[in-house]
Amino acid sequence: MATEYEHVIRIRGLVNRFGSQVIHDQLELDVRRDEILGVVGGSGAGKSVLLQSILGLHGPNEGTIEVLGQTIRHHQPGPHKQWGVLFQDGALLSGLTVQENVELPIALHSNLPVETRRELALLKIFMVGLDLKAAGKYPNELSGGMRKRASLARALALEPKLLFLDEPTAGLDPISATEFDQLVRFLHANLDLTIVMITHDVDTLFGVCDRVAVLVNKSVIVDTLEEIVKHPDPWIQEYFGDPRAVRARKAAIAKVEN
Amino acid sequence: MAEFLTEKRQDGLLQISLQKDWVFANLNALQAALDAIEPGSATAVEFSCGGLDQFDLAGAWVLYEKSMDFEDIEIKTEFKGFHAAHFKFLQHIIDIAAQKEYVPGYFDPKPNHWVADGIRKLGSNTIDAVDSVGFIARSVLDGIKRPSRLVIGEIIRQIHATGTTAIPIVMVVCFLMGVVLAYQSARQLEQFGANIFMVDLVANSIFRELGVLLAAIMVAGRSGSAFAASLGTMKLTEEIDALRVLGLNPNEILIIPRVVGLMIALPFLTVFANIAGLLGGAFIGATVLDINWFAFTERLATSIDVNDVLVGLSKAPAFAFLIAVTGTLRGMQVKGSAEELGRLTTVAVVQSIFLIIVADSIFTVLYARIGF
Repeated sequence: MATEYEHVIRIRGLVNRFGSQVIHDQLELDVRRDEILGVVGGSGAGKSVLLQSILGLHGPNEGTIEVLGQTIRHHQPGPHKQWGVLFQDGALLSGLTVQENVELPIALHSNLPVETRRELALLKIFMVGLDLKAAGKYPNELSGGMRKRASLARALALEPKLLFLDEPTAGLDPISATEFDQLVRFLHANLDLTIVMITHDVDTLFGVCDRVAVLVNKSVIVDTLEEIVKHPDPWIQEYFGDPRAVRARKAAIAKVEN
Repeated sequence: MAEFLTEKRQDGLLQISLQKDWVFANLNALQAALDAIEPGSATAVEFSCGGLDQFDLAGAWVLYEKSMDFEDIEIKTEFKGFHAAHFKFLQHIIDIAAQKEYVPGYFDPKPNHWVADGIRKLGSNTIDAVDSVGFIARSVLDGIKRPSRLVIGEIIRQIHATGTTAIPIVMVVCFLMGVVLAYQSARQLEQFGANIFMVDLVANSIFRELGVLLAAIMVAGRSGSAFAASLGTMKLTEEIDALRVLGLNPNEILIIPRVVGLMIALPFLTVFANIAGLLGGAFIGATVLDINWFAFTERLATSIDVNDVLVGLSKAPAFAFLIAVTGTLRGMQVKGSAEELGRLTTVAVVQSIFLIIVADSIFTVLYARIGF
C-alpha cells in the first residue's frame, strides 16, 4: 500500500480548554513511523486529554489531528482497525472471558468463521505471554499484570499499525513491569508497530522509548532521550535530575555499552 | 483466486508465489485461495514471496497452518524469498506454535447439571438469607442497646431517600387505583342499585390490601434495586473492603440503616397511599357516581373500623424488611463483573416483589383465621 501520510500522528495547533483553564495551547506533535514515543508530564499537564483528543474521545477546542492519514473528529469513527489502545487498568469487558474479549474486535470487524476467530484470538493471547488457562478466565480472576497482557492482546487483535499504551506499567511490581517492557520491545521488534505510550515509569522511558514528548507549558517538547535531558526547561531538569531518573538513565547507558 | 497467489508446477515441485497484501483484512480471501490449492502429485511445496506487499501476523498464520496441512500429508514445505521483515512474522508464528499447548475440548460447553446445581444454589441462598436475617436481628438489638451516631444519621438519610421522595409517585399510583376500584365496583353494584357500597369495597381493599401492597411494590422497584446496585458497586470498587479495613462493620453501617430506615418509612408511605386511594374513590364517587363527598365520608365511617387500617399497616414493616434484606443481600453477593451487578439487581427486585406477594397471602390467611 502506498504511504499517503508522512507521520503516523500529526497534530497541528491543538487547543484544549476547560472553562478558563487552558490545558494545551497551540500544541504541535509529529509521531514518526515505527518509533516508540514516550509521553511524560506532571499531573494535570494534559497527558490524558492529549490521548483522548488523539483517539477522538475528546473534542479539542481548536486544531487538527491526523492519525494514519485520517483526520480525527470527536465521536466519529477513526481508523479503528489500524489502532489498538491499552487503557490504564485494562478496560476488559468484565462479563467476557479473556478469549472472548480478544475475539470481540475480530468478530466486529470481520466475517471470519468462528474457528478462525478463535484461533486468531488464541494466537494473540499466546503472543502476549498468556496461556490457555488464562484465556478461559474472567478479567476479575486475573492478576494486574495478566489483565494488562490480556488487554494488550485485545489491542493487537486487529493487527494494528499504531498502538497506544496508557501507563502500561502503572500498578505492576518491578518484575512484572520489566517483563511488560520486554514484551513491548519484543512486539515492536516483531510487528510493524508505532507505539505511543504515556508513562511515569522512568525505567520504561529509558529502557523502551526512542523519543520522549514532554508536556510542559501547555505545549510539548519532543526529542531523543540523550538530547532531552539537556533541555533547559526547569520541569524537565527536575524530572530527569530526579535520582530515580538518573539511576534509570545510567542503567540504560550501561546496558547499551555492554 | 489468482489474486493472492500463483501456482507453478515443476515435476514434483509446486511453486506458489504470494502476491499483494497478506493481511488481516483479506483473511477470508486468503484462506479461500489457500484452500483451493491442490497438491496433486507434488511432493514438495515452495512458498515464495517476491511480489508480497504487506504481510502481518494473521497472514503468516494462515500460511503456517497451510504448511502444517502439507506436512501432515507428507509434503515438504519450504519458505523462500521472504524479506527479513516478512520472515520475522513467520518465524514468530512458528515460535508461538511451538509453545502452544492445546487442550482438547477446552472450549466445549461444560455439562449442565440442572437438578444438582439448582439444589446447591437453593441451599446456599437459604443459608445466606438465614445468615443475614440473623445478623440483622442481632445488630438491631445491639443497636438499640447502644445506638451509634453514624448509624442513626444514616437511618434518617435512608428514610428520606426511600420514604419521603417516594410519596408523590406512590400517591399518584394509589389515587389511580382508587379510581379504578371505584369504577369497577360501581359497574357490578349498579345492577343491584347499591352504588353506595362502592365505598365499602374501595375502602376495604385499599386499607386492608392494596394501599400497602402498591406502596411496597413501588418501593421494591425504587429502593430494592437502588440498594442492590449501590452495595454491588461498592463491592466492585472495593469500598466495602475499605470500610472493613477502617474497622467499621460494613454490614452495620450499610445494611442496618437501610433495613431499619425502610421499616420506618414504609408504614408512613402506606398511610399516604391509603389516603390517596380513598381520594381516588371519592373523586369518582363525586364526579361520576352521584355519591357526594359527604355521603362518601358518612358511609366510610360505618364501613370500616380501626382494625382494617391496622391490618394494612401491620404488614408494612414486614414487607419493608423483605425488600431491604433482599436488596442488600443481593448487593453484597455481587462480585467480579458489571454484568453480575445487573443480574443481581434484577434478582433483588423480582425476588422482593415475589416475597411481598407470598407474605401478603400468608398474612391474609392468618388474619382470616384469627378474625382480625
